[in-house]
Amino acid sequence: MNFKGQVAVVTGGATGIGRAIALKLADKGAAVMIADINVAKAKETAEEIEEISGASSLFVTDVTNVAACEGLAQATIDSIGAADILINNAGIAGSADWQTRSYSTEEDWKQTYQVNVIGMSNITSVFRSQMTRRRSGRIVNIASIAGREGRPSLPHYSASKAAVISLTQSTALELARSNITVNAICPGLLWTPMWEQVGDRHAQAIPAYEGLTPREVFDTMIAERIPMKKEQTPEDVADAVAFFASDDAKNITGQTLNVDGGFFMR
Amino acid sequence: MDFEGKTAIVTGGARGIGRGIALELAQRGSNVIVADLDEESARSVVTEIMAGGTQSYYCETDVTQQWSTDGMAETALEKYGQLDVLVNNAGVGGAPDFNSRKVPTVEDWQATFDVNVYGIVNGTQSVENYMIERGYGKIVNIASIAGRAGRPGFASYGASKAAAINVSQAWAFKLAPHGINVNAVCPGLIWTPLWQSIAEWRKSTDDQNAGLSPRQIFQHTVAESVPLGREQTPEDVGKAVAFLASDRARSITGQALNVDGGIRMN
Ligand SMILES: NC(=O)c1ccc[n+]([C@@H]2O[C@H](COP(=O)([O-])OP(=O)(O)OC[C@H]3O[C@@H](n4cnc5c(N)ncnc54)[C@H](O)[C@@H]3O)[C@@H](O)[C@H]2O)c1
Ligand SMILES: NC(=O)c1ccc[n+]([C@@H]2O[C@H](COP(=O)([O-])OP(=O)(O)OC[C@H]3O[C@@H](n4cnc5c(N)ncnc54)[C@H](O)[C@@H]3O)[C@@H](O)[C@H]2O)c1
Repeated sequence: MNFKGQVAVVTGGATGIGRAIALKLADKGAAVMIADINVAKAKETAEEIEEISGASSLFVTDVTNVAACEGLAQATIDSIGAADILINNAGIAGSADWQTRSYSTEEDWKQTYQVNVIGMSNITSVFRSQMTRRRSGRIVNIASIAGREGRPSLPHYSASKAAVISLTQSTALELARSNITVNAICPGLLWTPMWEQVGDRHAQAIPAYEGLTPREVFDTMIAERIPMKKEQTPEDVADAVAFFASDDAKNITGQTLNVDGGFFMR
Repeated sequence: MDFEGKTAIVTGGARGIGRGIALELAQRGSNVIVADLDEESARSVVTEIMAGGTQSYYCETDVTQQWSTDGMAETALEKYGQLDVLVNNAGVGGAPDFNSRKVPTVEDWQATFDVNVYGIVNGTQSVENYMIERGYGKIVNIASIAGRAGRPGFASYGASKAAAINVSQAWAFKLAPHGINVNAVCPGLIWTPLWQSIAEWRKSTDDQNAGLSPRQIFQHTVAESVPLGREQTPEDVGKAVAFLASDRARSITGQALNVDGGIRMN
């Protein structure tokens, strides 16, 4: 697996899972563009990448802002070249302070859909023309096991991730004839700042988890629901992303792969 | 390299997809036991692998017999001292000459389940105790997109492949606490001796196909049904198997991955 000479764009690449993906692709030789709203963290990650693969760039991009997405597409070409690989990873789990509430507000629904689904569509739209022109490309979307089945506590987030799976399939069919593959990954349980908030929320919204700390909720869910009895890591997700982004997966498209220790088997 | 110093068994490795898997694992450093009934073809795969620089050995194996797969596992340990990967790939479309019958007979149903389902169970049962004791192992089962949804005509084959997916999930659950990953790959349309016999069956059962060669029937099927517009190859399946059998997929278990150019998206 080798991405030498290839250009990858990672949205939400400044921190967490996106950062691990960016570092993995860089480690295999790709030049990486970090598209994020967190400027300070994006700078740090871009610098790390520079040391690994020698080529990185960053563009402050709010994926919900179409003009910014268009700016990103141009900035990518200008700085490191046309994109071969696009990783749609930017995501949120609610509007401000969502984790302090036991229910979803209209703002939670709107903002989550705006970033996780419409943002993904915005970014895909600006890069698909670059890829279509060159008749090749790899797109990997980060969904979630939350999108595999409706569950209590985070209906707005689960629904947005189910939409990501659906969007992945539609895009795969639209772009197949241009030799562009589009696949999704559903990460399972990863101890990131986002999950710390999820744990807070679950403790309030799910009676069985009442009174538990976020980490206790996390550990309980692993013990109860994950056959491998282990949490997943950003590295685990990055390895699966690298597979879909590589030539090894050139005949795989429209698929959604769970990286979740067996939580869901479908 | 992912499989340096490792040992893999590939059932049905003498030709077609199994050969593609065996060569792909060998290229990535693995010693490979080619477990098959077809000695002549198997020996030529063994020669090919050894020319590439890793070890290989033909083990006469009938996957429908537990004693035979037990012997296969023992041979791997005797020859190479360890066993890391089992690929249950052997499969049939029915009893001998199945493609000369319009409708599968009870013998066809029986043969299909004997090889495609019990073959996986036997192979798995022959290695699981060893893998459990070692706390490490990778099992990849070759199902089919035919197992994703019932279709008229070839119901026996489709049902056996649905069972293969189910069996993979059952063992994924069972073996997950022991650090053993069990996954399935669902190939799409691959030109092998098996598909050739399916094409012959279609030729004799559907007037539309009467004037076409088996290869033309295959190409029509590809053109009609594959979004990416091209056939899949044994190498494609080999690469997906190599990913799932590697430590890069350490947190993936119980999954079934379609390698089918987007024909099916579940
Ligand atoms: N942590 C988990 O257990 C888990 C599980 C399943 C799926 N996921 C998904 O993985 C992805 C990454 O999650 P994470 O845990 O690394 O979260 P994170 O909060 O650590 O990282 C998300 C990144 O996206 C960026 N971002 C947020 N909104 C943005 C916007 N509008 N435009 C551009 N960038 C934006 C953030 O600045 C941040 O750098 C998300 O899509 C998330 O839903 C996470
Ligand atoms: N060709 C396709 O398009 C396609 C699509 C989906 C799934 N598959 C599956 O992939 C696998 C390989 O298929 P292929 O197309 O390479 O078929 P193939 O007929 O070319 O090869 C199958 C191999 O399995 C061996 N085998 C059969 N019965 C056996 C037994 N009882 N014990 C040991 N070995 C035995 C055969 O000798 C042969 O070498 C099968 O499980 C098949 O169902 C094939």
